[in-house]
Amino acid sequence: MTTYATATGFGGQKLAFAGLLIIATLAVCALFAPWLAPADPIAIDPLVRLSPPSAAHWFGTDHFGRDTLSRVIHGSRMAAFIGIGVVAIALGGGITFGVLSAVFPRLGMLLMRIVDVMMAFPALLLALALIVVLGRGVENSILAIGVVYMTTTARIVYGVSLRLKSEVWVDAALAMGARTPRIVFRHILPNLVSPLFVQASFVFAFAQLQAASLDFLGLGVPPETPTWGNMISESRIYITRAPWLLLFPGLMIALAAFSLNLVGDAARDRLDPRLQAAFGGRSRS
Amino acid sequence: MLRYLIRRIGAFLPTLLAASFLIFVFIRLIPGDPAAVMLGDQATPEAIEALRVEMGLEESLAVQYLRWLSDVVRGDLGDSIFFQVPVLELIVDGLETSVLLALMTMVWIVGFGLPVGMVAAARRGSWLDQSLSGMSMFLASVPTFWVGLYLILIFAAILGWLPSSGYPSIFGEGGLANLRYLLLPSIALAAPNAALIIRLTRASMLDVYREDYVRTARAKGIHPLRVIVRHVFRNALLTVVSAFGFTLAALISEAVVTETVFSLPGVGRMVVQSILRRDYPVIQGTILMIVLLYLAINLAVDILYAWLDPRVKLR
Amino acid sequence: MNIIRAPKHVVAVAAAMALGSVFPLSGQAAETLRYATVGEPPSLDQHVVTSDLATTIAHHIFEGLYTFDGNYEPQPLLASGEEVGADGKTITINLRQDVSFHDGQAMTAADVVASLKRWGEHGSRGKLLFSNVSDVSASGSHSVTLTFESPFGPWKNLMAFINGGPAIYPERIASNAGSKPIDVKDYIGTGPYKFGEWKPNRHVELVKYDGYQSPPGAASGYAGERIAHFDRLRFIPVPDPGTRVSGIKAGDYDYAESMPSDLIDDLDGDADSKVVLNGGPIFGLVFMNSKAGPLMENFKLRQAIQAALNKEDALRVSIGPEKLWRANGSFLPKGNAWFTESGTESFSEGNAGKAKSLAEEAGYDGTPIKLLVSTNYAFHYDQAVVFTRQLLEAGINVQMVVVDWATLIKKRAQPEEWDLFFTHHGFVPDPILISVMNDNYPGWWATQEKQQLKSAFTATNDPAARKATWAEIQALIYSQVPTMKTGDVYTYNIASPKLSGIEATTLIWPHFWGVSK
Repeated sequence: MTTYATATGFGGQKLAFAGLLIIATLAVCALFAPWLAPADPIAIDPLVRLSPPSAAHWFGTDHFGRDTLSRVIHGSRMAAFIGIGVVAIALGGGITFGVLSAVFPRLGMLLMRIVDVMMAFPALLLALALIVVLGRGVENSILAIGVVYMTTTARIVYGVSLRLKSEVWVDAALAMGARTPRIVFRHILPNLVSPLFVQASFVFAFAQLQAASLDFLGLGVPPETPTWGNMISESRIYITRAPWLLLFPGLMIALAAFSLNLVGDAARDRLDPRLQAAFGGRSRS
Repeated sequence: MLRYLIRRIGAFLPTLLAASFLIFVFIRLIPGDPAAVMLGDQATPEAIEALRVEMGLEESLAVQYLRWLSDVVRGDLGDSIFFQVPVLELIVDGLETSVLLALMTMVWIVGFGLPVGMVAAARRGSWLDQSLSGMSMFLASVPTFWVGLYLILIFAAILGWLPSSGYPSIFGEGGLANLRYLLLPSIALAAPNAALIIRLTRASMLDVYREDYVRTARAKGIHPLRVIVRHVFRNALLTVVSAFGFTLAALISEAVVTETVFSLPGVGRMVVQSILRRDYPVIQGTILMIVLLYLAINLAVDILYAWLDPRVKLR
Repeated sequence: MNIIRAPKHVVAVAAAMALGSVFPLSGQAAETLRYATVGEPPSLDQHVVTSDLATTIAHHIFEGLYTFDGNYEPQPLLASGEEVGADGKTITINLRQDVSFHDGQAMTAADVVASLKRWGEHGSRGKLLFSNVSDVSASGSHSVTLTFESPFGPWKNLMAFINGGPAIYPERIASNAGSKPIDVKDYIGTGPYKFGEWKPNRHVELVKYDGYQSPPGAASGYAGERIAHFDRLRFIPVPDPGTRVSGIKAGDYDYAESMPSDLIDDLDGDADSKVVLNGGPIFGLVFMNSKAGPLMENFKLRQAIQAALNKEDALRVSIGPEKLWRANGSFLPKGNAWFTESGTESFSEGNAGKAKSLAEEAGYDGTPIKLLVSTNYAFHYDQAVVFTRQLLEAGINVQMVVVDWATLIKKRAQPEEWDLFFTHHGFVPDPILISVMNDNYPGWWATQEKQQLKSAFTATNDPAARKATWAEIQALIYSQVPTMKTGDVYTYNIASPKLSGIEATTLIWPHFWGVSK
């Protein structure tokens, strides 16, 4: 049985372990950024602008003369903040709408139609439209990306809850006179934990890429905030002159998304096969 | 099957209508106005106001929406405020770039993803399987714009092998050779999107190995290779069809960024540029077309999938 | 066999002939100049649009009565000369008789009158002149008379500045045009190139006008002889600066504008490209709100902000190489007739201590001061970042509000939304054209002291008197601080080395008459 699971596992457990290691490292960076960063990430020094990697500045400096290493380390804070925020909104909203829709079929019809309409927009376009209306800002980026993944989460939760609702033991509980809230809290929510863990790690990973894309288009977090996406966006015109400036923030985005994808993938393979179907391949990007 | 078709197509129109309303309202909530953008830094408030009136921006939202909707139904998406040409013309021109880019990307994805997925499945659990899987997952985690910028740096600016940007129409000067302009953008776009098809191919190949076709076939005295080829082919087709639907959504999203990086005259960049210029008719027309396209392709893929794979329950 | 083969041969020849007629293989290939622009122009209508990009394209199509020579002196273009009345209030402009529009019609006084009227009513810079004009009328088939309420010194400079200026359109177009930019089909001018096509997102193309009659005299700046060598000028939007550089190197473009300043040293020594500096610098301006908010009438607080800034640091960060910027406080650059150091000692003090004490005197209580800035122009944003930091060090609580340009111009029109906003100004040949001189420009600086000096400035034609008054106005700007100049920035373009006839620096916008490949 175990050998079979490993064989099905796309990434494999070793890779998942590597993913966890990367996540732990990034979390340490995010938590202890002010102590780990060798310099103030927003201190300007015109005289050392665009210097290549050196002993004083391991990752070089940008056109303000700011230390890229320190900015990359501080960037992990914003990445974690955005990731957690997006997951909270996507899961919070998704669980609420998904479970309500499954339990109350009439309301479900309406809510799921709304989800359908929202899902008719490609993810980035939807986030882009929301941001343009709300204005640039950390909270607005989180909200915009969160709403996008709320729709997919709601759909997954709805699918899984419907399945659970039709299971024999829920029928039995109903026959024994259990009330709706009890069914939800006793029988549905506990069974949602593992599929939602999978969804959370994918949403976290996608949130990194979407946030970076918004930053790159100049529609994300305000540019004075050191995020990896902003660093790439600000330095892009220097790519022929200082190609290393884009290298490190880009790698960080890739590593953050990669590690979460690895963990999510391994977790999905361990899911109950009946629940796996809800994920299909239709994760939004 | 027929009932499934009717139900799917029946849901299509209300969704589109609701989406059109959402688009319209969203766009009017954007701060800023096209008259001020157009007249520039030195314009007087009176001049801006006069132009707003001439552009019909001072009427009520409901009137504007209904007028727009009735025009859209008749196939008229209005005129661009900025370019003074029909929006539909802009979209058709932009679609050439975007569709060719998507097709070229799909060629890379399928041409690379299918074989890799098959190899990974054949060597399941091996060192090769693990590294192929890891690699494809890493590519899926890399931002497209970042890859794009480095591709331009290396292949256009340093080596000079390929054009850096832009895309002249294949119907104009240069002809089909102009497709080389889409090489770098399509590679940048294919890299992160190949992972899905690799995973789906691998999984469906494993299904083939696992299922009893082979054993049954052998019992019947049919050469197992023939069975595998038949099932492998069918599964590969299914994988491509479903991956096409899944990937297309991602391509449309990411094309917004890729077209911006490579200065391609496609619909994705048009959306971003029009937002910056507050060119309302173009923003709403383009997004509406994208949504329409997106819904239509998803519908087509679902129907095709249902038709190809009788195991699919027609929920 | 032969019988069967023969028709095939005939068919092949016929096909070749047919193709030949579709794609003429003329020995002399049509020469096209390919120009990589920063984006798409908003419209080419010169009366109402002030975009520099629009002018770069449009001044090949449209011409005014006057234009500037290499020394920024106005010279006749469509005009042949003028007579100024003894009281300085009537000016009769004589027109050249050999000029025809691109539709073949000869240009007459009626066209000029209609164009000037439309510009005066709806043009962005037309009101400056026309607020003082009581009548414009034809005084002959080829002469036009302007009547002023009082003598107006800068009239010729205003007429010669084509950006947002009085381009001459045919009467039927000018008299029917309202506030809206004219239609693409109405792009009919008198210039050496006529409008060809505008393919959105792809290019704007101009075609050589065969009926063009050049003005007399040797070429100098935009004045004198204009000869079109190229058959077509194609302006292609390439928004990414890095891509424009790669495009020139790869031979995809012949000319690319607005290069990243940090690349000048690489590009200057490069065999694949020729650097063309822009002669007139652009300069950043940080406007202060005179209508609402904490800065409204608090000149001391404004001076505190001015004293805190070290503009050299900001220029170094945002621009880089020293040859591309000057920490110059004079609104017009050194060497220009309008250069003056009056008031400029306050230009870039970078003195946090002085700023603190000034702020204290001003009774500043730490109220947040909103600085509106857009990311559409990298140097605005970069300099704003440096200024914000310098102001925080001086205890002035500045908060950046970062938006896109479209939002910024909307917000800056609403006095409650901002205290400071960042913009930049193109080079202008007469200080009257600088936006801060306009009382209605956001910031709305219209103090009594300004009004007095401004009327003295426009009321005379005497150059020496005007220069002296301008020095006083500049000093007033440094003490009342309606706006802060952030220093001169010299942008540059690159050209393919194959182009000949390109001057080492552009006057204001590049021009391609007299240029060949």
